[in-house]
Amino acid sequence: MTASATETAAGTGAAPARGSRSRGIRIFKWTLLTPLFSLFFFLMPVFLLQLYFSLHSWTIYLSSWWDADYAGFDLFREVLTESRFYWAFARSFLFAGLSTVGCFIIGFGLALLMYRPFRGHSVFYVLFILPMLTVPIVISYTADMLLFRSGPINDIMSFLAGTEIRFTWLANPNFAIFTIIMLEIWNWTPFAFIIMLAGLSSLPAEPVEAARILGASRLRIFWEIQIPLLRPVIFLALILRFLEAMAEFPKTWGLLQGGPGTSTETIPVYLYIVTWRAFNVSKGAAASYLVMLLMIVIILSAIYVLRREKKALDALYEKPAGGGEA
Amino acid sequence: MKKAHVSRRKFLKGALATAVAAPALLRAGGAKAGPEEDRIVKASKKYGKASLNGMMWALYWRNYPRLNTEFKGLTGISMDQVNDVPNLLIPQRAMAEAISRSGKFDIFHVESMMIPSLVAAGLVEPLDGYMKEAGFKLEMVGNFASFMKYQDVTYALPTDGNVCPQFIRKDLFENPDEQKNFADKHGKPLKWPETWEDELEIMKFFHRPDKELFGFGGLRDKENSSFWYWMYLYSAGGFPFSDDAEPTLTTPAAEYAADTFLARKQVSHPEAAAWGSPQMIPRIVEGKIFSAQYWDGIIARIEGSPTPTTGKWLYGVPPGSKFSGRLIKRAFSAPVMGLIVNKLSPRKKQAAMWSLYMTTAKNSTEVVAHPTMTFHDPWHPVHMTAPEVEKVYGGKAGMESIRKSLLVTTPPPYVTGYQEFKEAVDKNLSEAYAGRKSGKQAIKDAQEEWGKIVKKIGKARIKKEIPYYKAMMPKMDVPT
Repeated sequence: MTASATETAAGTGAAPARGSRSRGIRIFKWTLLTPLFSLFFFLMPVFLLQLYFSLHSWTIYLSSWWDADYAGFDLFREVLTESRFYWAFARSFLFAGLSTVGCFIIGFGLALLMYRPFRGHSVFYVLFILPMLTVPIVISYTADMLLFRSGPINDIMSFLAGTEIRFTWLANPNFAIFTIIMLEIWNWTPFAFIIMLAGLSSLPAEPVEAARILGASRLRIFWEIQIPLLRPVIFLALILRFLEAMAEFPKTWGLLQGGPGTSTETIPVYLYIVTWRAFNVSKGAAASYLVMLLMIVIILSAIYVLRREKKALDALYEKPAGGGEA
Repeated sequence: MKKAHVSRRKFLKGALATAVAAPALLRAGGAKAGPEEDRIVKASKKYGKASLNGMMWALYWRNYPRLNTEFKGLTGISMDQVNDVPNLLIPQRAMAEAISRSGKFDIFHVESMMIPSLVAAGLVEPLDGYMKEAGFKLEMVGNFASFMKYQDVTYALPTDGNVCPQFIRKDLFENPDEQKNFADKHGKPLKWPETWEDELEIMKFFHRPDKELFGFGGLRDKENSSFWYWMYLYSAGGFPFSDDAEPTLTTPAAEYAADTFLARKQVSHPEAAAWGSPQMIPRIVEGKIFSAQYWDGIIARIEGSPTPTTGKWLYGVPPGSKFSGRLIKRAFSAPVMGLIVNKLSPRKKQAAMWSLYMTTAKNSTEVVAHPTMTFHDPWHPVHMTAPEVEKVYGGKAGMESIRKSLLVTTPPPYVTGYQEFKEAVDKNLSEAYAGRKSGKQAIKDAQEEWGKIVKKIGKARIKKEIPYYKAMMPKMDVPT
């Protein structure tokens, strides 16, 4: 058989195979897209209804929602000119930021301790994830009892310090939010722990081994090999935790209802008060739309960062091969 | 392990004995129905049987099953499903029902201050027609029945008076050494406080934080602050609205009330800013508080069963104020719980009859006198002298303090949008209590927020409601 005959035969056989492959890809695409479209159409009415509420002035007890007066952007303006909204936002950012960092540092530390198997490993694993399995409202009520001035936490601290400590954890308006941040860290550290453990476990062993053979110290291996390889996982853990913390409600409400004063009034608490205390659904909808827009900006930025990290990681993996060829 | 064996013969004998004894036991458990109950039963029968669905906190429902079974036996109407929702969440759930308009719930056990808002939402069935039909007369101590009405129409039937009398530690107050020390220090004898200023002076004397004894035990958290504030305001002759529906929260009386509210911080527990009843009640019961205006159910909690302070409290009417030029004493009742019938329910007639039956003088006495649960506090004149209620509340002194306090009891703002008005005051007072702003600034900010709420609800609507709100005020300055 000549070369050209071989090419023709291969070409005739490849055409149906290509057709079948492209049909398979099409089916696969639709398999993925159908649930997405369904979800989109399922969620759309909620967003549209919320948009309707935010553009109309509806307080539950004053009219039916379909009879509510058109208010244009008045409610958005009302929310945007209300200092209470900005303070709530600032508190939410403080809460989410600090608790995310706290969860991450402790979770990563535990993951570093745990990613190499040892005897009794699974017992510690279960212990470390237990806080995440505890219902947040239960945490708030338990903490309420533990954190009395004359409660067990202060007693333990007094014992350790050798002097009487009677710290006011919840009634101090300057400190109350930090108390709830600490509870959040306790509650959600396992989340960061699990993600970082998975990240550490999936790292390729070769670069670490190679560095060790070349005499790199543990610290250097950690900073210069493990951390760069883990960057996408780190960002994922931070972003997911931050978004989750922005929506925290049970502990903040269960413990202090946003008080003392408004010192723990975060965005979810503010939205609850506006919508279900004042029954001002329209203002609540306008405020939540504004929050949603900001969260979209945060999510898009996060996606951008994650993509950039992934690209950087891909480049890192490709680099040694390219260097070898050179 | 030995396995218990029950033969069929034994089982059948037991079942037969239970069947024979049960009716007698059931009869022994409940009192015989009276004429008022007979009239309700007669009126109910024409509406036919119904299986009702209510919303009530389990701690309240606990007192009703026997009466519910009894009413079912008599009329075929019974509450068969009870949604266990805490009091504080029922207004939200009721409002959600006003949106869905499903008619699924027949009765809401909700605080009566929500009546104007729930009426505006079109959810509440007027009850006067049913009351007339069944020959039922709503009787509550003093002017208290007005709490169940809105614009002269009855919309709720009471279940819990929830008034706050004065509590003072008897063992300390009547201690001769303490009395002498007080007289030496102040140059006057230690006597029951007439005014808020007297109370503060006495509380300061007994405030001994180093001994875990705190002068004052009222609530100062974000959810409850305003209840005390209204009491101070009304006793100073103040009122939160002008007749023209303008908020009047920056008047001298309102400033006095805010100062009185904040002055108690110096004799309160340092954690009071974050404490609700779950934290404060144990402190009162354990004797770590000297003085408080607190919910009357605590009297039963203290005196009804042995506690560290059983027999160690004096009960009376809260102090008052001479700010207006004459002595005015006021107490507060909130939340006053009541049964509200869903206007949208297809079983509303049966639900109304069920509610009437549960709140007759006789039946409500049984509910209030429940030996272990004290969530239903007295409100009917009959409760004040009923021996079984008196027994639960530890004797005549406690009951007399409740009766007298009810004679001068006052509501929070009884207008449409109650929760919104309340939240604005709670939030600002709580801010002031936390030291974030002055009392004057707090009421100024609350006034500003109230102005916006009035504008949203409509001045005309509030203006129309104010005469009824004013009519709820006690008819006497000092109770007798």
